[in-house]
Amino acid sequence: MNIPLLSFMIFAPLAGAILLIFLPKDRKDLLYGAAGAASLLTLASSFLLYARFNGAAASLQFVERVSWLGGGIQYHVGVDGISLMLILLTTFLLPVAIFSSWTAVRARIKEYLIFMLLLETGILGVFCAVNIFLFYVFWEAMLIPMYFLIGIWGGRRRVYATTKFVLVTMFGSLLMLVAIFVLAAQYQKATGVASFNLFDFYGLSLPPQLQLWLFLAFALAFAIKVPMVPLHTWLPDAHVEAPTAGSIILAAVLLKMGAYGFLRFALPLFPDAVQKLLPALAVLSIIGIIYGGLMALVQKDIKSLVAYSSVSHMGLIMLAVFALNVEAAEGAVFQMLNHGLSTGMLFLLVGVLYERAHTRAIADFGGLSKQMPVFAAFFLVAILSSIGLPGLNGFVGEFLCFYGIFAAHSVWAILAVSTVILSAAYLLWMYQRVMHGPIVHESIKTYRDMNAREIALVVPIVILMLWMGIFPRTFLKKMDATINSYIRGLKGQDKVFVLKPALNRGSYPRLSTAETVPQTRFGAPSAPASAAAEARPK
Amino acid sequence: MNALRALGPLLTVAGGAVLVLLLDAFWKRESKNHLAYLSLALLAGAAALCVRLWDAGAASFEGALRLDRPALLFCLFLILAAAFTVLLGLRYLAQQNAAFGEFYGLLLLSLSGLMIMVSTRDLLIVFLGLEVFSVSAYGLTGLKRNDDRASEAAAKYFLMGSFAAAFMVFGLAILFGSAGSFDIGEIFAAGGGARMPVFALAGLGLVLVGLAFKIALVPFHMWQPDVYQGAPTPVSGFFVVAPKTAGFLVLMRILLPYGQGQWGRDAVYYFLYAVAALTMIVGNLGALRQRNLKRLFAYSSIAHAGYILIAVLALDARGMAFYLASYLFLGIGAFAALAAMCRPGREYDDLDDFAGIGFRYPWIGSIFSVILLALAGFPPLSGFLAKFYVFSAAVRAGLVPLVIVGVLTSLVSVAYYLRVIAAMYMREPVHPVDIEVENPAVLLVLFLCLYGVLQLGIFPGNVLTIIRQAMAGLF
Repeated sequence: MNIPLLSFMIFAPLAGAILLIFLPKDRKDLLYGAAGAASLLTLASSFLLYARFNGAAASLQFVERVSWLGGGIQYHVGVDGISLMLILLTTFLLPVAIFSSWTAVRARIKEYLIFMLLLETGILGVFCAVNIFLFYVFWEAMLIPMYFLIGIWGGRRRVYATTKFVLVTMFGSLLMLVAIFVLAAQYQKATGVASFNLFDFYGLSLPPQLQLWLFLAFALAFAIKVPMVPLHTWLPDAHVEAPTAGSIILAAVLLKMGAYGFLRFALPLFPDAVQKLLPALAVLSIIGIIYGGLMALVQKDIKSLVAYSSVSHMGLIMLAVFALNVEAAEGAVFQMLNHGLSTGMLFLLVGVLYERAHTRAIADFGGLSKQMPVFAAFFLVAILSSIGLPGLNGFVGEFLCFYGIFAAHSVWAILAVSTVILSAAYLLWMYQRVMHGPIVHESIKTYRDMNAREIALVVPIVILMLWMGIFPRTFLKKMDATINSYIRGLKGQDKVFVLKPALNRGSYPRLSTAETVPQTRFGAPSAPASAAAEARPK
Repeated sequence: MNALRALGPLLTVAGGAVLVLLLDAFWKRESKNHLAYLSLALLAGAAALCVRLWDAGAASFEGALRLDRPALLFCLFLILAAAFTVLLGLRYLAQQNAAFGEFYGLLLLSLSGLMIMVSTRDLLIVFLGLEVFSVSAYGLTGLKRNDDRASEAAAKYFLMGSFAAAFMVFGLAILFGSAGSFDIGEIFAAGGGARMPVFALAGLGLVLVGLAFKIALVPFHMWQPDVYQGAPTPVSGFFVVAPKTAGFLVLMRILLPYGQGQWGRDAVYYFLYAVAALTMIVGNLGALRQRNLKRLFAYSSIAHAGYILIAVLALDARGMAFYLASYLFLGIGAFAALAAMCRPGREYDDLDDFAGIGFRYPWIGSIFSVILLALAGFPPLSGFLAKFYVFSAAVRAGLVPLVIVGVLTSLVSVAYYLRVIAAMYMREPVHPVDIEVENPAVLLVLFLCLYGVLQLGIFPGNVLTIIRQAMAGLF
């Protein structure tokens, strides 16, 4: 294999964006063609990735490692069972989001598509990066296109919403950056070599007090992104103001980056601190579930209702992440996909409706199913998937989550089940008010039903929902090994590099690490030897 | 002969300044472009001489003027900044009725002062260079002599600068009284600052205060926003970058020998610690309130001086040099964007002027946005990497509280940089803005700055290597 598949996938959208710069800005078909081609190429390469991914192995696959800046900073990417799923979700939804904008975005199409493609590169980079520096670069860089997407093509209060989004998110990530510095400094003190490799850091044993601070810094960054209550306030603003495609990506993929961060970084790096703070984190998740659900109940705007439902559903995912067992972790990852699909589709459909009605207030609708039967049917499918109807994807994920959470802590599970009741309540009630009853406004009678393009956008999602509901093994089998080894890693706290006063810098740890690094701890080969080579001045 | 080689770059610039001034006096022409081209050629020559000396280095005047590698590297930075300034001035000065040949002469002269500052270890020579720079800088500030604000700025700069110079001379006198020498190496020969008597420390403190005035560290920054607002835009761009570049190298040259042995437990350390924190806080909070972009960038440059000071406190010369290299493109790039927003007799520098220009002038808007994002520290741009190196060195040096202040204040900075971008792309025009688009020199500078920002942000390998080579020769 000569072309590195992973890098090709990450940077294909970027190449598309660069190509778009040179296309004439008034040729809408050409622009969409180029952007669509880039995103579909990315989708195709992610399918190839899925096909070639060896689900039986827990290790990182498709690893690419190129020296970049020196001092342990490398271009180091790889995929395991967890990130593979999120990559598929991203590459699948991006073309949908792009083509959903065909009529919704009228002005400055070229710039819009450029930012969408840049966003995709940023997100894929986050899910592939193994080097923490590289991760941080993608994590922050991804904010820029999102900032412009909301700020230029958003609603009335877009500037406020997008600035708040960026500032709140950055607040967390900047403190995380400080924690990364401390982590790297500690690693260098313990081993004498500079590294930013995540899997090297896994082996680091830190004093409990320091762990606590570092964990808080990381957790803050990720909890803002998820978002966990009480750090969620940016989310409804951003969602309501964002253009449809922005909402789709925001809800379906960006929020997952927070949960992914907990899974990949915060929990395995600081196991002692996690043990100490687990109750608090679980309580916050449960509060999120209930609070998000209750807030969704009282929303007047469909979009903000879906936004608060995200807060609630992400609460469940986080609770499953904190349950720290195999079933819950698999459920959490699977539920991330579900939530991505169902919420993404809900936002897509709300966008479809908004293009016709130019309002999203629930009170403005009624009897819509008479006028738009196809739309109503698809809307119902999305809602049922979100609620977790057996046969659809949501059921599998929620079942696994509850199963795992119950095994960890029965009280948590009992409280968490309320999400099913609440989401049924707010979603079905909203459906009833919008779709059933008499037609309240004359203008509703002028709405056209979904056209072929819009149907073509949602049909793949619906097929995938059914597929995941009936044959979840297709996806679960690729992550079994990864998650098993991940949970083993979390439970067995065999730290490799013990922090000692650096009396004899360099010589002591290198001797001991060479033999003792378990090659498959957390599924990835840890390679301090190469890090040592990297640390030498070039 | 060796002495002459060491003087080569400096002579080219200083002699060039005289040449330009004389040429302007004896060959009167309406357009001053020929002087600009001559200056560019002189700068290129000086740069080439610096590059030729890279391997050998050179010294003259019994070692008082010493072109070691750090000096050469920083001379190259300064020459590049001056070249950008000349390019920015080409159209700008004619537009703003300030097309005086003195601009080029004074610019070269001030450059020569800064070059003297970086190529010596003798504090008296540093002072000499500083004064050469300052005197020509006062003139440059007041170049738009029909503009009240420019005159006010020049007067203010002159008064404040004279105070700073007085502090510095006083400090130098005390230091000389204590050590019997102006040479940094000899002053700290007895084992760093630990062995210095108290009155010598006071002298050193006064010297540092003088430098802090020039670099505009809080609380010695008051003059800066007014001066940068009043000075011609290209000159402001030069001022945010060049004096900092030279001043920080001098600071590093002083503190490296001073701090040997017991850096971190003495008065100078705590003084600079507090100054760094204050500079970041005041600079960023001050910028938050500005609606005039020149003032905004003046405050933002104060804030950046605070970040660079963190590198100085961590005694991380490479991080400092990389930050300055990155800021060279960012500071000048920002003012280049302002210089682009002009038409004859009118400058657009209010936030409202920028409303909606992003789509109207796509190149200016997009490059300016990239520069703003880099200033705010977004990856993968140079500003991020610069902060990354500085902060990570600081954490290793145990300056975690300062780093936390640094990241939180840079969050504040994101707010005001994004406000400019929001104005350009997310707001409708407030009033008609009509700029003169035909300005290839400014566009060239903008593109070069964009290139610098991307190159230093994504593939800084070569620059890092050069900086590592150069800074190994520091002390």
